[in-house]
Amino acid sequence: MPLAATWHRLPRFVRIILTRLGMIVPQMLGVTLVTFLLVRLLPGDPARLILGNFATDDSIKALKQHLGLDQSLPVQMERYLIAVLHGDLGMSPFTSNPVLTDLAQRAPATLELIGYAMILTVIAAVSLAVISVVRPGGIVDVVARIYGLVAGAIPDFWVALLLVFFLFHILGWAPAPFGRIDAMINAPPTITGFLTIDSVIAGDRTAFWSAASRLVLPVLTIAIVNTGALMKMAQTSFRGAYQSEFVNHMRLCGVPERRIIRSALRNALPPIISQTSFITGFLLGAAVLVETIFAWGGLGQYAVQAVVNSDYAAIQGFVLVASAFVLVVYSVADILYELADPRIQV
Amino acid sequence: MNVAKLSAFLLRRPGALIGLALLLVQIVAILFAPYIASFSPTDADPLSSTLPPGGEHLFGTDELGMDIFSRVVFATRVNLLISFTAVFVSLAIGVPIGVVIGFYRGFLSTVVLRIFDFLQSFPIFVLGMALVAVLGQEIWSVAIVLTLLFVPMFARLVRAEVLSQRERPFIAAARCAGANDLQIMFQHILPNAMTPVIVQISIAIGMAILLTAGLSFIGAGVRMPSPEWGLMVSNGAQQMILGVWWIALFPGIAIVLSVLCFALLADALRDLTDPRLQGDRRARTA
Repeated sequence: MPLAATWHRLPRFVRIILTRLGMIVPQMLGVTLVTFLLVRLLPGDPARLILGNFATDDSIKALKQHLGLDQSLPVQMERYLIAVLHGDLGMSPFTSNPVLTDLAQRAPATLELIGYAMILTVIAAVSLAVISVVRPGGIVDVVARIYGLVAGAIPDFWVALLLVFFLFHILGWAPAPFGRIDAMINAPPTITGFLTIDSVIAGDRTAFWSAASRLVLPVLTIAIVNTGALMKMAQTSFRGAYQSEFVNHMRLCGVPERRIIRSALRNALPPIISQTSFITGFLLGAAVLVETIFAWGGLGQYAVQAVVNSDYAAIQGFVLVASAFVLVVYSVADILYELADPRIQV
Repeated sequence: MNVAKLSAFLLRRPGALIGLALLLVQIVAILFAPYIASFSPTDADPLSSTLPPGGEHLFGTDELGMDIFSRVVFATRVNLLISFTAVFVSLAIGVPIGVVIGFYRGFLSTVVLRIFDFLQSFPIFVLGMALVAVLGQEIWSVAIVLTLLFVPMFARLVRAEVLSQRERPFIAAARCAGANDLQIMFQHILPNAMTPVIVQISIAIGMAILLTAGLSFIGAGVRMPSPEWGLMVSNGAQQMILGVWWIALFPGIAIVLSVLCFALLADALRDLTDPRLQGDRRARTA
């Protein structure tokens, strides 16, 4: 079997990535079909919504025909699939833009928020976990235990409000919770859509500081709420590795503590990776609350608006993009997981 | 387990005691709300709008002049009613599904599992808003959204347990003794698969309280003037920037304490039902 032989001659990480990529295609297809069906359950007649209450039955019929809503479900589904493959997610009658354009405009805002929040969450969770395991009974251990207990009980929208109250209203350290950048400052030219990165590229200091300071409160909110769960998982996993035979052996051989911690952490990594991916996937939906409070103008707020307006195309588009995002995150996590654990056969 | 053993168990765990105390507070609030609250939870009084805490109004009043303390107390009924309903309905639907798809592992079971995958990977708040849009903004719509989320959770949990139980010798013994599939599933496997479910019930109630509050906060849940914690926080959200902290603070504390209560009870139940951890305190933290 020459094909199998070539396959096994490929480097391990290439095999891991190719296998994962191959699985994404059927998964995406399934997601697209289910999304289509689910959105059709929503009430409200889009044709009547677009034309308003005074539309005649004839004009509604004409628009339905134009939108293809008079066709049978399988025909509509087929049309939808073909359109999606051509990158056409339909028009949003409320923003009068193509849905793809709308989503592309708003995605960077949400991704920037989630991205920084996840970096902070992972760093905080892993540090807390490592310190509390290495020094049991120490201050960090006690704080981590209390925090781990309470963290799961705090609603994110409430934390956001408390942060706004203390850091903006009382102390005046943080900027007002209105959007991603000060309204008086020109946003840097769009290259990546990430304001912090774009302003660095443009060399615009004021824009960078404005964008970065606006990120502080929402990022802190998400990190405070989500660090707890990741920390508990990291503690369990790291404790297992840290108390294992090989760590004892390293210690007996006189390996410095720093290196022991590093190799124990390497062994504790796989469950931490998968938990991180779950949280990241979950955040896209959960960020709706945080985005609303900070008037972030991201995907979450767009989805809320779309549901309120019964905007079929926009909801479908959002769900599709959100599911694709979750799929990509899970796939990346799977790839990292297999890279981190060399025992897994590919 | 007898009473003496149970009280010894509780004394060794301050967390469980706090959880029980919080549960008691909530039960009292639910049963005696009209006697505890000095004002009606839904009566607006424009003359006493946005009063700070103290005096006649223990937690102050909101923009419409409603007494926040009375609303927090009455909201216990609404929040726990929604959460308990959602969790126990999900339990009644999810557990049998879990048993069946764990026991028969054919094509249909795989399809059901994939549907659950999709439901669980869907952004919860968008799903919530979409369904509340379909069903109308009623208390029961929120419960249905939560049910849709929890049914897969319970079914998965039970399925995982069933998968490990069905290969055990006592199942083969039951079959030899002439038990049919239904008897094996529900009389022999299910009782042995319920332990993690009992712990999960408490965790799910906590999740349900948080999600109900979140849905109400974005306007996809309970409507004014019903007293509901998330809705009350949402009412205070605009004022918080201006420094009016009491409208959002107190209902938020109520959410935290209520969720914490069920998390602590879940921890205690886990220890109580895990025979490996009996009387071994160090193992619990490991």
